[in-house]
Amino acid sequence: MKIGQSIKMALKSLATKKGRSFLTMLGIIIGLAAVIALVTYAQGQNLAIKALYDSQGTNVLNVSAYTWDGTGNDVGQKLYDYCLGLDGVVGITPNGYVYDDLTISYGAKTLSRQRNYIGMGGGVMVSEGVSNEDHYPDIRLGNDKFGLCGDYKLARGREFSYLEVQNMAQVCVLGADTAEYLFSFADPIDKIITINGLPFRVVGVYQSKANGVQLGKSEDAQWVAESLKYLDKLLLLPSSMTRYFNRNEPVSEYTVKVKSASDLAEVTTELNSFLPGIIPQNNGSFSVYNPGQYAQDLDEADALQQRFLGIIAAISLLVAGIGIMNIMLVTVTERTREIGIRKAIGAERKSIIVQFLIEAVMICGIGGLFGVAGGYIAAAVLTKTSFGLVIIPSTAVALGAFGISVVLGIVFGLYPAIKASALQPVDALRAD
Amino acid sequence: MLIDIQDIYKIYNEGKESEVRALNGVSLRVDRGEFVSIIGQSGSGKSTLMNILGCLDIPTYGDYHLDGTDITELTDRQLAHIRNKQIGFVFQGYNLIPVLNAWENVELPLIYQGLGPLKRRDRVEEALERVGMLERRDHRPGEMSGGQQQRVAIARAIATHPPIIMADEPTGALDSKTGLHVLEILHSLHQEGSTVILITHDNSIAATAERIVRLSDGVVVADGAREEVFAP
Repeated sequence: MKIGQSIKMALKSLATKKGRSFLTMLGIIIGLAAVIALVTYAQGQNLAIKALYDSQGTNVLNVSAYTWDGTGNDVGQKLYDYCLGLDGVVGITPNGYVYDDLTISYGAKTLSRQRNYIGMGGGVMVSEGVSNEDHYPDIRLGNDKFGLCGDYKLARGREFSYLEVQNMAQVCVLGADTAEYLFSFADPIDKIITINGLPFRVVGVYQSKANGVQLGKSEDAQWVAESLKYLDKLLLLPSSMTRYFNRNEPVSEYTVKVKSASDLAEVTTELNSFLPGIIPQNNGSFSVYNPGQYAQDLDEADALQQRFLGIIAAISLLVAGIGIMNIMLVTVTERTREIGIRKAIGAERKSIIVQFLIEAVMICGIGGLFGVAGGYIAAAVLTKTSFGLVIIPSTAVALGAFGISVVLGIVFGLYPAIKASALQPVDALRAD
Repeated sequence: MLIDIQDIYKIYNEGKESEVRALNGVSLRVDRGEFVSIIGQSGSGKSTLMNILGCLDIPTYGDYHLDGTDITELTDRQLAHIRNKQIGFVFQGYNLIPVLNAWENVELPLIYQGLGPLKRRDRVEEALERVGMLERRDHRPGEMSGGQQQRVAIARAIATHPPIIMADEPTGALDSKTGLHVLEILHSLHQEGSTVILITHDNSIAATAERIVRLSDGVVVADGAREEVFAP
């Protein structure tokens, strides 16, 4: 007997018992829909946090290295030279920041901050920052690889050149927010801004990190969005400018970009063995920190969550499967006489097995389709209300869920089908 | 020799106190083209005999050769093929599948045979035409009278062109007029060359056959021409 015929017959049988077929499918439908919706919800939950970590630069190591007596510029150069010799390293930039309060002006626009020291506590200066504008930027000290290491892309102009960094050229690169605040719609490139009265030429503007990132409206997402906006408030100066602004204190923070996540561990090891050589044990300190570690921890928490969801999914589908087996056994009992007739007119065991198996698979397959559709709708509604944006489950999830339901039909339909086929025709015909 | 059974026993619960010998050493030979009535009281073993002849059941002991093939040696699958190709069944209770209409019921054995759709259409049409049920092709069993259902059942039995028709009390559930009609169809099939085995408890129906086998308590008590068996 051909498969097409079997499918036709199975559909006919299911159609005669519509109510029952639907109720049996319901188990599959609810099970699959719930699984898809939950998995998608979990994805949405982690999306916002991941976006933040990725925005701060992926595959980077933060290195802190300094000496007490301030010979740090030398440390920086040695570290720079060493890192460029490492296979896994793509780039290294100093990543210091200017903690002096500066006044940044272009034309009538001024950004300034005045901090009042309000006391000392435990040897640490406690200060209160008061800036005149929300737009006061984060003033960083970096080199020609700053954009590369920080995952900033240029919107206009260029990065510093190596020589500009070496020669303390009075140039700067602006973050998107800072550029917009100072220049509105004008082109900032080659314009001169003043920083504490010193002229600096704008050579580049970075693209916004906050724009174009879909985060939704949850509290987490709002916080992430704020954090991303903060990354656009940036004024990048050549690292050598520390001479002017940080009372000639050397930059002690560096960001090292590696080729891929798999290089992180090795480069960390190499740095940890190199740094003690240039920093005397009793006159300095260093550390190598992988900011992606936190993201990795998040991933692991995700995996745990996924596994938990998987177990719930497995249980709900198992229950649905048992429901199917149960209903198929009832069907076989009810249709014993039909089985007898079919055998009497020449049905092989195989045909009977295929017939009942296909009925079970059809229940699961149709239920699976509805379940996937229901899952998509539930996922869309759930993510829309929770995160404010619609997250569509991936095709792989849909296909996987549908595949599982079909397999479920085969697994739980097999026993009833074999039972049906094993009936002796004469016994089956005798049934009422 | 089409059918040849030797010393067939069908024993239930053998060796126990509740042992029942439905068939107690039956031998029977049927030639191609014969019309044989098997008669007997209820409990005489005639239905058991038909089940065994029709390969629906297997004997506890004994030999069965169908058209030279040793049935007792065959696998489940081969038996299914024999039931499909060699034998057409007509049951007392019609045994049509209620969810299928007349056409689909008749088509079923042809589907199991693996026939293509065009050939199936020809065969189904021919069989339904033969029993005068073609215009009821779309009716389900529940929408037909007993006589009509039995005619559809006969159409199903002959659709595969089997050499043997086995009818177990085919008129048992019918009134005498429709019963006669069904009987006429069986006889005309016989005239066209089919071997017909008719099982009945009704002497007048059995008497339409030229050869009669009488069964009692699981053994053959008479086997011969109508005139001999029904001799006064």
